[in-house]
Amino acid sequence: MNRFFEIFFVIWSWLSALCLVGAVAAILGFLCVKGFPALNVELIFGNTEPLSALLLQKQVFDGLFPAIVGTLCLVVLSVLLAVPLGVAAGIYMAEYAVGYVKTCCDFLFDILAGIPSIVIGLFGFTLAVFLHKNFSDQVYPCFLISSISLAFLVLPYIVRSTQISLEEIDPAIRNTALALGASRLQNIIHVLLPRALGGICSGVILAIGRCAEDTAVIMLTGAVAIAGIPRSILGQYEALPFYIFYISSQYADQAELMRGYGASLILIMLCTLLFLVAFLVRKRIAYQAFYKA
Amino acid sequence: MEATLNINNDNVTGINSEVTDLSQEKDKVLHKKRETVGNPFVENPRMTCRDVFVYYGDKMAINNAGIDVACNEVIAMIGPSGCGKSTFLRCLNRMNDTVESCRVTGDIRIDGMDIYAKNVDVVPLRARVGMVFQKPNPFPKSIYDNVAYGPKIHGLAQNKAEIDEIVETSLKKAGLWEEAKDRLNQPGTGLSGGQQQRLCIARAIAVSPEVILMDEPCSALDPIATAKIEGLIAELRQHYSIVIVTHSMQQAARVSQRTAYFHLGDIIEVGPTERIFTNPRHQLTEDYITGRFG
Ligand SMILES: Nc1ncnc2c1ncn2[C@@H]1O[C@H](COP(=O)(O)OP(=O)(O)OP(=O)(O)O)[C@@H](O)[C@H]1O
Ligand SMILES: [Mg+2]
Repeated sequence: MNRFFEIFFVIWSWLSALCLVGAVAAILGFLCVKGFPALNVELIFGNTEPLSALLLQKQVFDGLFPAIVGTLCLVVLSVLLAVPLGVAAGIYMAEYAVGYVKTCCDFLFDILAGIPSIVIGLFGFTLAVFLHKNFSDQVYPCFLISSISLAFLVLPYIVRSTQISLEEIDPAIRNTALALGASRLQNIIHVLLPRALGGICSGVILAIGRCAEDTAVIMLTGAVAIAGIPRSILGQYEALPFYIFYISSQYADQAELMRGYGASLILIMLCTLLFLVAFLVRKRIAYQAFYKA
Repeated sequence: MEATLNINNDNVTGINSEVTDLSQEKDKVLHKKRETVGNPFVENPRMTCRDVFVYYGDKMAINNAGIDVACNEVIAMIGPSGCGKSTFLRCLNRMNDTVESCRVTGDIRIDGMDIYAKNVDVVPLRARVGMVFQKPNPFPKSIYDNVAYGPKIHGLAQNKAEIDEIVETSLKKAGLWEEAKDRLNQPGTGLSGGQQQRLCIARAIAVSPEVILMDEPCSALDPIATAKIEGLIAELRQHYSIVIVTHSMQQAARVSQRTAYFHLGDIIEVGPTERIFTNPRHQLTEDYITGRFG
């Protein structure tokens, strides 16, 4: 009986893993088959000279270039906003918060993690309207509002990953520097954070993915179909996921739909690129923290 | 000539009068202090402990301990598992502060300074009372940086040359210099277990402590590495006081001058190591030493 159960369990695990890999392969394969033919210089830069577009000398009107730049900037700004806040909150939760306060914050972060992105988008929109009415009529839903909203969206990932990876650290390691007379803060900076870096990095990668793909938030807070390269953080902008949504809901002919597939492929490649950058940054910081401190 | 501890309840609360709550009083009644056999005190002590109680939450882990640590001695703490040796050791450099539920009362002094006084900063205290753990735990940094870490955070050196000097003398004292001098920039985690433990000892002595606490420093090491550490402890005694917790009675006999026997939170017997092992006076000590339990 036991033997049978074990065999069954192993087969079941295998099948589950296979399903997962299969699903990912199917999606990627589908995108590649559909997207690769559409992928060319013209899709990205339209009729504009690529070099002068890259140097921002000429505007691109009929290519994906502004959307790519928009998404890239959006991800970078949102993550830059979310990481310091999230890591600090995670450190607080793991190292300083106790008792009632900790339980409360735990609960609140869980709620924050559960808020649907459309609601956060709505919040961003309301914020923009509020600022527009009460402070300056120059403020509209814009790049900055989107970034702030997205930062909120991904904050729980970063807080949690920081907190969990700090809490997981072996007590023996936790006490090493303290026993040498390091202060609590020195212990956190010199020993605990470098140890937790791997976990924090996975949180940041999750956050990058989420920022890059989220459509609901940016739809309500300033992404538009045509805006050109983002020139100011108070202006509207283009973004890849919004473009994909837009084109797939209102395409006029097959060629336009193909551009949507191309855009999806570009979005995935962009994410991969950002993940790579995150890993490299992590390696660099770990090296600095461990061997140069 | 037996010095016995005063178990007068009024006396115990003399130092920290505000912590006398009911649960403590109850504990004292339920868990009556066993008098320490032998003389736990010395002349010109480095550290003194009087009326020390330690609680984890409501549970008492150390019951009215009083003992001295002399200068240039190795004092061994032995006893069955869970009797509070590590707990007591951690009181001596206030590492118990890091355990949330832990509460220490009583009077512990180093060179006459009360280490639990309100205005005492644990940072310099832990430089004076260093600690070596059971499992070798070097930082994932180079050998050099491991040893240099303490002096750097305590600002013991003005420039690189001085740090170099400290690193070299510490590694020499820890008997690791010959093996490590050509690989100072390689990670400390790449050393063997015994070498790592000597690296940890070097790291602890780099901040010039007066007392070194060792909690079962050899229990993760093979016999050859253990012999090296024991030899090292004997040498270090010339410069430091060493308090060592060990499960090996042979080890206690080999390295220590005095031995304290702990039992369920009490210090049962303290005396010269040779006397404890050849002629224990308390029945519990004798039972433990002759291997009847533990
Ligand atoms: N962090 C803690 N929280 C609660 N109770 C603890 C804690 N640490 C130790 N204790 C309790 O205090 C008592 C003494 O523990 P301690 O670790 O000091 O024993 P020990 O003599 O060092 O044992 P061993 O020889 O196994 O290391 C034990 O009953 C243990 O359960
Ligand atoms: Mg112990």
